[in-house]
Amino acid sequence: MAEEVRDLRKLVIKAYHMQDVEWGAHNDITADGHMTVSKETLKKLTAGEEYIEDIDLRIIRPGRHDRWTNTIMDIIPISAKVLGKLGEGITHTVTGVYVMLTGIDVNGKQCHEFGSSEGILKDRLYLNRAGTPGDDDYIVSFDVTLAAGMGQERPGPTAAHRACDRFIQDYRMKLKKFRGDRCTERHEYHDIVRPGKKRVLIVKQVAGQGAMYDTRFFSHEPSGVEGGRSIIDMGNMPVLVTPNEYRDGIIHSMQ
Amino acid sequence: MGIGPSTKETTLHHFRDPLLDVVSEDTDLDLMGILLVGTPDDQTDKMLVGTRCAVMAEGMRADGVILSSDGWGNSDVDFANTCEQLGIRGIPVTGLNFNSGPAHFVVENEYMDGIVDINKNEEGVETNVVGENNVVRLDCLKAKALLKLKMRQKDQKLGNKA
Repeated sequence: MAEEVRDLRKLVIKAYHMQDVEWGAHNDITADGHMTVSKETLKKLTAGEEYIEDIDLRIIRPGRHDRWTNTIMDIIPISAKVLGKLGEGITHTVTGVYVMLTGIDVNGKQCHEFGSSEGILKDRLYLNRAGTPGDDDYIVSFDVTLAAGMGQERPGPTAAHRACDRFIQDYRMKLKKFRGDRCTERHEYHDIVRPGKKRVLIVKQVAGQGAMYDTRFFSHEPSGVEGGRSIIDMGNMPVLVTPNEYRDGIIHSMQ
Repeated sequence: MGIGPSTKETTLHHFRDPLLDVVSEDTDLDLMGILLVGTPDDQTDKMLVGTRCAVMAEGMRADGVILSSDGWGNSDVDFANTCEQLGIRGIPVTGLNFNSGPAHFVVENEYMDGIVDINKNEEGVETNVVGENNVVRLDCLKAKALLKLKMRQKDQKLGNKA
């Protein structure tokens, strides 16, 4: 007797589209599509990190990419867990704006090792990929200046990612409270077992060589840093995750 | 910045990875999960973690594996070893990797005949443009089709027309 298809668990991702991003008194976000960015927390974020000398924020409007950028360390979605743990329950995410983490040290050395992407942003960022913003998206640039030489040492990039994650956390706390029925998109994902079909495993080889070549899993929040574990610290050994855990942002790319 | 900015997979890429969509939506396949493995610096460690991946795939009785790599050059050593370890265990493997032009595989073996080159620029070089040489849906469809073919060929070889 053939076994039936089994549904192991459900993940719902609700998206809230931002129509505009402006400077404001506080870091704030509303379910009807308005986001404000403030520099008020930067001093505290800088003071909390030994290897960070300065942080600057910029709002980059869609199409306004004819401007300088330091090397791009990451593009990060703003997502928050609302119900359940990563991989099940409900997640809220934001569309229309993504955070771009860039880094340099006080001596002007870019935070990179093998290949660097500093330059004019429109020449350095290929839009509309899965991992990059689209033509109509805002970018919030979180630009970190590290202590001398720390761009090439593991604690430097780690501190930059951690500070950026704390900045994003302000938005996550608001995003968690959005009413579910006000979302602009709703996606439902299921971890499915299909008995009798070809069993396929995806193996993703991620960075773990050291310095900025690091990857973090199992953070408390989707695409987060806090609470996560580094693949370097886990000896680069293979770790199995479910499809829903993966699509719920279980990886934070530290490169 | 990554092992080649143009191939680097950002946190956003992992959140919206086309490879997961392509495999999970296919009702002919039973997706077992995603095995995440690091790329150590040390040569002995590279061999170790790739071999552990293959052992896990074998223990899970995987019929096939799609392997993807974030970066190129140094990480090709890991990529090639993992392909080989899967291959010698009789597990069909295809993959996604940036390996055209000057970035051609630094090491190769007989189990790497199903690897899709994800290069997107004419010269086949590292352009330092973030996202340019990222995996896109079409690359994933190719890797999946190649895997289905290799799994079928294996069945036919065994005379087991599943």
